[in-house]
Amino acid sequence: MRLVVDNLDVRYGGVHAVRGLSLTVEPGEIVGLIGPNGAGKSSTLHAIMGLAGASGSVQLDDRELLGLRPEDVARSGIALVPEGRRIFAELSVEENVRLGLAGRRTRGSTDLAAVYDLFPIVHEFRARQAGALSGGQQQQLAIARALVAEPDVLLLDEPSLGLAPSVVDVVFEALAAIKQRGLAVLLVEQRAQRTVAASDRSHVLANGAVQLTLGPQDAGDTEKLVAAYLS
Amino acid sequence: MRRLHLDEVIAPVALVVAAALLGTLVSISTQTYFTDTLVKVSIVVALYVFIGNSGVLSFGHVSFVALGAWTAGVLTVPPGEKPAIMPNLAGFLQHRHVDNVESLILAAVVGGIAAFLVGIPLMRLSGLAAGIATFAVLEITHNLLQYQERIGPGLNAFSSVPETTGLRQAALGAVVCIVVAFLYARSRYGRLLRATREDDAAARAVGASVYRQRLVAFTASGFLAGLAGGLYVHLLPVQVNSVYLDLTFITLAMLVVGGATSLFGAVVGALAVSALDSWLSVAENGTSLLGWHIDLPAGSAEIVVGILMAAVLILRPSGLTGGRELRLRGVPWRGSASRAQG
Amino acid sequence: MTVTWQNLADGLLLGSVYALMAVGIGLVFGVLRLVNFAYGQLVMAGAFALALASQWGWPAWAGIVLCFAVVLALSAAMEWVVFRPLRGHSPAVMLVATFAVAFLLQSIALLWFGSLGKIATSLTFLGRFWTIGGVDIRKIAIVAVIVAAVCLLLLSVLLERTEIGLHMRAASMDFSTARMLGVRANRVISFAVLISGALAAVVAVMLTVQTPLVTPDFALRDTIVVLAGVVVGGLNRPIPATLGGFAIGFATGVLGGALPTDQSQYLPTFVFVAVILVLLVRPRGLFDFSRTVERV
Repeated sequence: MRLVVDNLDVRYGGVHAVRGLSLTVEPGEIVGLIGPNGAGKSSTLHAIMGLAGASGSVQLDDRELLGLRPEDVARSGIALVPEGRRIFAELSVEENVRLGLAGRRTRGSTDLAAVYDLFPIVHEFRARQAGALSGGQQQQLAIARALVAEPDVLLLDEPSLGLAPSVVDVVFEALAAIKQRGLAVLLVEQRAQRTVAASDRSHVLANGAVQLTLGPQDAGDTEKLVAAYLS
Repeated sequence: MRRLHLDEVIAPVALVVAAALLGTLVSISTQTYFTDTLVKVSIVVALYVFIGNSGVLSFGHVSFVALGAWTAGVLTVPPGEKPAIMPNLAGFLQHRHVDNVESLILAAVVGGIAAFLVGIPLMRLSGLAAGIATFAVLEITHNLLQYQERIGPGLNAFSSVPETTGLRQAALGAVVCIVVAFLYARSRYGRLLRATREDDAAARAVGASVYRQRLVAFTASGFLAGLAGGLYVHLLPVQVNSVYLDLTFITLAMLVVGGATSLFGAVVGALAVSALDSWLSVAENGTSLLGWHIDLPAGSAEIVVGILMAAVLILRPSGLTGGRELRLRGVPWRGSASRAQG
Repeated sequence: MTVTWQNLADGLLLGSVYALMAVGIGLVFGVLRLVNFAYGQLVMAGAFALALASQWGWPAWAGIVLCFAVVLALSAAMEWVVFRPLRGHSPAVMLVATFAVAFLLQSIALLWFGSLGKIATSLTFLGRFWTIGGVDIRKIAIVAVIVAAVCLLLLSVLLERTEIGLHMRAASMDFSTARMLGVRANRVISFAVLISGALAAVVAVMLTVQTPLVTPDFALRDTIVVLAGVVVGGLNRPIPATLGGFAIGFATGVLGGALPTDQSQYLPTFVFVAVILVLLVRPRGLFDFSRTVERV
């Protein structure tokens, strides 16, 4: 299933966070969304998820998602890994993962094995309180929780924020595996270089609009990246 | 104080004066409704001074009304009558007697001091905690006044208090409360407190001490509530249950319906709800409206007011006035020419 | 002050009742962040239903069914008409709104039934005494503890082991994230309101056995005291809240009977001073040992 965002406008009170944003994510693709703070990256993901008021169009294979409640967007096949992880610290790791089942479209199996394969740490710590996990482990839990819903589209909001480089590697490896499975991935990040290298295409967002689109071949071109950020 | 916006005090005072004048035109028995209304205006204005400016809910202000009523009542019941209704009164209170105005001033002072003392610990709290803590204050005051017969009549009503609160005294009292509330709101204290209501963190950043400002407002509102209590006891025989939950509810309803964040709203709410309540009470005894005979069952007045309050909260939480003051543009008052915020 | 077995039994009864009310209030607070001042009115409505049923000569079980029906219908109405439109408003507005509803319902009851109230007689057999070891203990005290324990057990099984229970717990910790994962807001809220209502109905039955005379201010004071207990125990977590409710009920029940009258008069003062102290010193509650930061 492909995600099509067309002319998305997001406003918070008097602030025009996103202006006329359009992008497409095909299955099996990673599309990156990079840019400076306040550029509107998170707002875009929130709008897609129904967590922010927006106008324009967000379609999942011709199904219009804009205007739906967050739980209904989730149940349509989109999962968000939010900024800061937002795991439930007082619930156990397994309970956190099971919560992700709420987004599943098929009411049938509650099989968590596929997700546990991808993140063995999550399986190992499943009985522990989620709050006791390290930042990197919590990030894996958050991604696992999102994947359990068997979404067609995965949105990630700054998954590498605050993580040590070795853990960031784990996250990006997982993203590659997820891409292999045929999901459409929209990745919001501040680490421009890593993202540009890992994505099929990266849009540079500034002041709420796409300034530039880069391909993985531009990952080494620091001048281009800096110029894009400062534009 | 910078620009005074004197025009903002005109409307509330004008409404009070108009209500008082209207009261002189009706029969004596109906006049008590008007007088009662004007005393309630004082209470609601007192509520506004704290709740309206701080954004913190207080369920406990009627305690200060009660304390004011007790103060003024105990000190003005003629010494000869005291043993009849207050047999266990403490020695030093038995022989003290003050006149009308003194009793009102003392009532206000007692209200203010009590509010200050209660506020010292409580002003750290916000939101739900503040609501429950102030509710606790109401309960404690009620409990103590109910059974402590050394400071008042306990469960008896305050009969034999000189009935000095007629239309004029009630109106004057209301005007005094309005003026004090206005001066407070326009003062640096009021502005700082409202700043914390809007944006806590930003206000602190410019040095406003939330705690201190709230304490000032709480004390001022306790002062005014005490005054209102004094007015009240000189109007009718106050009993411990008449300054408890019912009064708390109705005065809060008046503030909310009128618009909690403005002085004008407080006055409008008090007058509007009172008018409705009084009319409904009269209708409970049978009346006619536009040719229809209406005879409401007893107790339906509270129901209507309750529904009205709930409806306003749900549909228009900012109240009838939208929480704004009424300004008179185009009138050549000193300082009213600008469009500064309030 | 001498504490008799009777006092302890009274304490247990009131403690059980207040524990259930605390859970009822806490459940709704958890998902809606709204303190329902009108919760006692639900209990009152149930009690009046029982009174009407006994007045119409219905058998006890039919009265109980009517009680549940009335309370659940009223809860649903409250949720639709008051809670839903108020979602997202400031805590102050919500507090005053439920306060208004409480008063409204009380006034309606006053209008309908008059201030003298009605008597519910169908369950009086539970009000009789068992004599255990030479001491008279009212049956209802024992039954109340058992019923409360069973209810709490069932509820904790529901919360811990079912999907909807997990959703409810998650929603009370972080509603927006739960929704983002697919948890249906309306369903969770309706469920919480439903269970809360069912608990109110149970409380209504228990209280009418202890006090067959049902008056319009039935349970209004109890709501306030329970709220105090919940806040003292710990509003944000279910177990501390329940403990707080039980503690204050037990203490009030025992002390109310054991203290001589000239001291028991001032019991409310002591209770509420304690509440204020707890709010100041340990705002998260006496029994709340969690580390998470919550907003009160």
